[in-house]
Amino acid sequence: MQLPRPGRTRREFLRAAAAGLAWACPVGPAHAGAGDDFDLVVVSGEPAAATRRALDALGGMARFVRKGQRVVLKPNMSFTNPPEKGTTTHPAVVATVARACMEAGAERVVVLDYPLRPAQLCLERSGIKDACRGIAGVHVLALEERKFFRPAAVPGGKVLQRLEVFQDVLEAQVLINLPQAKSHSTTGVSLGIKNLMGLIWDRWSFHSRHNINEALADLAAALRPHLTLLDATRALVDNGPGGPGTVQNPNLVIAGTDPVAVDAYGVGVAPWYGRSFRARQVEHILAAHQRGLGRIDVEQMRIRRETA
Amino acid sequence: MRRAAQTLSLFLFSLLFVLATYTLPAWLPADAYLRLDPLLGLSALLAGKAVIPRVLWALVLVGATLIVGRFFCGYVCPLGAALDFLDVFFRHRPRPGMRREAALRQVKYGLLALCLAAALAGLSLAYLLDPLALLTRFYAFVLYPLAITLLNLALDVLRPALRAAGWIGLAHLHYPQPVFYMTVVTFLVFAGIIALNRLAPRFWCRYLCPLGALLSFLSPLGLFRRRVDARGCNACLECRQACPMGAAGEDPERTHVAECIQCRTCAEACPTGAIGFPAFAAAGNAPWRAGEYAAPEVSRRGFVAAAAGGLAAAFLADRTPFAALQDKRQLIRPPGAIPEAEFLRTCIRCGECMKACLTNTLQPSLWQSGLAGLWTPRMEPRFAPCEQHCNVCGRVCPTQAIRTLPLEEKTHAKVGTAVLRRERCLVWAEDKLCLICDEICPYNAIVFRAVEGYRRPVVIASRCNGCGYCEQRCPVQGESAIVVAPQGAIRLGDGSYIEEAKKLQLEFVPDPGDDRFHLEQPPGSAGERGGPGGRAMPGGPQPAKPKGFL
Repeated sequence: MQLPRPGRTRREFLRAAAAGLAWACPVGPAHAGAGDDFDLVVVSGEPAAATRRALDALGGMARFVRKGQRVVLKPNMSFTNPPEKGTTTHPAVVATVARACMEAGAERVVVLDYPLRPAQLCLERSGIKDACRGIAGVHVLALEERKFFRPAAVPGGKVLQRLEVFQDVLEAQVLINLPQAKSHSTTGVSLGIKNLMGLIWDRWSFHSRHNINEALADLAAALRPHLTLLDATRALVDNGPGGPGTVQNPNLVIAGTDPVAVDAYGVGVAPWYGRSFRARQVEHILAAHQRGLGRIDVEQMRIRRETA
Repeated sequence: MRRAAQTLSLFLFSLLFVLATYTLPAWLPADAYLRLDPLLGLSALLAGKAVIPRVLWALVLVGATLIVGRFFCGYVCPLGAALDFLDVFFRHRPRPGMRREAALRQVKYGLLALCLAAALAGLSLAYLLDPLALLTRFYAFVLYPLAITLLNLALDVLRPALRAAGWIGLAHLHYPQPVFYMTVVTFLVFAGIIALNRLAPRFWCRYLCPLGALLSFLSPLGLFRRRVDARGCNACLECRQACPMGAAGEDPERTHVAECIQCRTCAEACPTGAIGFPAFAAAGNAPWRAGEYAAPEVSRRGFVAAAAGGLAAAFLADRTPFAALQDKRQLIRPPGAIPEAEFLRTCIRCGECMKACLTNTLQPSLWQSGLAGLWTPRMEPRFAPCEQHCNVCGRVCPTQAIRTLPLEEKTHAKVGTAVLRRERCLVWAEDKLCLICDEICPYNAIVFRAVEGYRRPVVIASRCNGCGYCEQRCPVQGESAIVVAPQGAIRLGDGSYIEEAKKLQLEFVPDPGDDRFHLEQPPGSAGERGGPGGRAMPGGPQPAKPKGFL
């Protein structure tokens, strides 16, 4: 991921060191690739099969990952719950994507999160570490230390000017977001954009200092995944993000290159807090759309539906 | 041979200590050394007035000492080993030697009498002086944090190289740094014990160690005895010089058998090879000279004085405002801690629970519950919470002052209740948007109620387990706006926490409907606790939307 570096920070030398690294990552508003006759892929089925089918429908992982590239996967593995609780991304989804990346020739895949609960316990109890064990080149990491983050500027940020982002994300060529669909007591829902908060250091200021919805839109502008694959095989429809709460089973995997579009569709997969909402009603998704980061008009989108 | 045994034992002790983490397999007793310690066991038994199955392990050491003699101190005791190994710092300088050797030797018996008398009267004191508790404490509060610091330092130095080499796992390796109160105090106690070697080798073991004193009482029955072959002895007194325990008598042919740890240093030092350690049956026969001092040598006056001192200490310790306020001013103890009075008597302050604690919330107390609570574990939720899926503290507790609980039971072992302090809360006091306590609560004990047109957090006490996640994460500077108070803590000496929680009508299993109900309350309805019947009143005002939605 290439991010503009901040100007005149107290970490001059770090910046210089980071600048010395060569990033070769063309990041723009990476919407649907040329030649696609659809904006989103929505696959119904079991986690592993649906994920595979979604990747196939998008044209295979080779479209996103080229030989020798470094890939970061960002699942939600912030909680110490098994997948049936609906608080973390299904391990089969993560493992399927990780394997596909390696098969596409990736140099390595780093599965990364900054968890809310004790790191080791999250890796173990979410099942993600086990699922990825034995896939050569795949590393599952839950990091809680500031030393693994590096400063980055937020271009055109409304409330955020600079962020500290995982060094591995800054040095990777491909970022794939693997959010879990769930409710969230502050932001309404936690889908792709909200999931990106697990890649930055100072997330508490989102709650205490900033308007969190605007801050999330800034974050979505700064960190643009090349692919977002929303795990809505299960959806925690209330008491999110940590649960325990009501878990429904929409049995869906939603994938696309437009992060806002994926989230916009995700709003409709389940009733949140017992009520149905439209994407435009979710403040942070609307804010991201208004920054020109992606489409929100689910009704107008071309959607390729499949069953795995 | 002895060095090898000591090295092995110290290694095993260290290994078990390192393994005391939440991943500890159920079959592995990480606290094995502490369980084997008859002094800690006896003290906990006398003070707690209850038989603790786990301390019966100590019978193994008692039996072995009865059979073999006081070998533990010379071959097994990890503190003894540490003292021997660290003696290199003192060996090269002449030591003054102790003038009143015989009197000093009695001090440990006095300390033993003091500890046991105090225990009998309900005050746990043995932990202060027991070598295994002492060393475990030093490991937990000094050595372990230091080792992690050095390990991380090394990793940080290597990190750029590891990263360049593409060793991703290693390049991201970092061990959470444990920190503890009382590190300095613990260090000073240990350093003092080591420094005493300047005066005499194994000063601690010779004169002070109450565990050694206890084993001395058993050792005269032991199988192997130091014996001198009178024909070979030239009375050069080399053995007396060499003995680290002062067990070789003033008359070299005689032995203070209670002091002898069978280290055989004397046999090595003897220029004529006249010293042996024959088995009991042979010991009476020629050529060995039967020569033993009465064992152990304790003056009645000293013993009585020490015992009286112990009793007095125990009575005084119980007559302080701390004891009187025990019920009101309880600390937040780890889940599964037995009732406070019994807890203070049974806990041996080894620090094993605090070392093993996954989140580092368990911290040693200084004065928080008086002298009787020195080094006892308490939770510090502002610093770190108690993790729902971890129960290691009870599993490694050698005296079961913290009970070993299955996870399901542990979840019901309520340690306190979160109390929301509205005057500090960002939402209550400043109308800000903050829901961190709700977001993090693993038990769903925090709900939002519409009060004065605003959704505000409220604690449902019956669901709160007291884990402290809310207190730790509260973004208010300084003291948290939501604090865990010992209110409602369940402390059971035996029986099921699940049953008790049921009796108290506590529900740690969430009711998923609750948040929805409160969300749908119209703003301005002043937050009264309506029943479920009040849900979605037809014809009522339009319900407010959940947060985050427009």
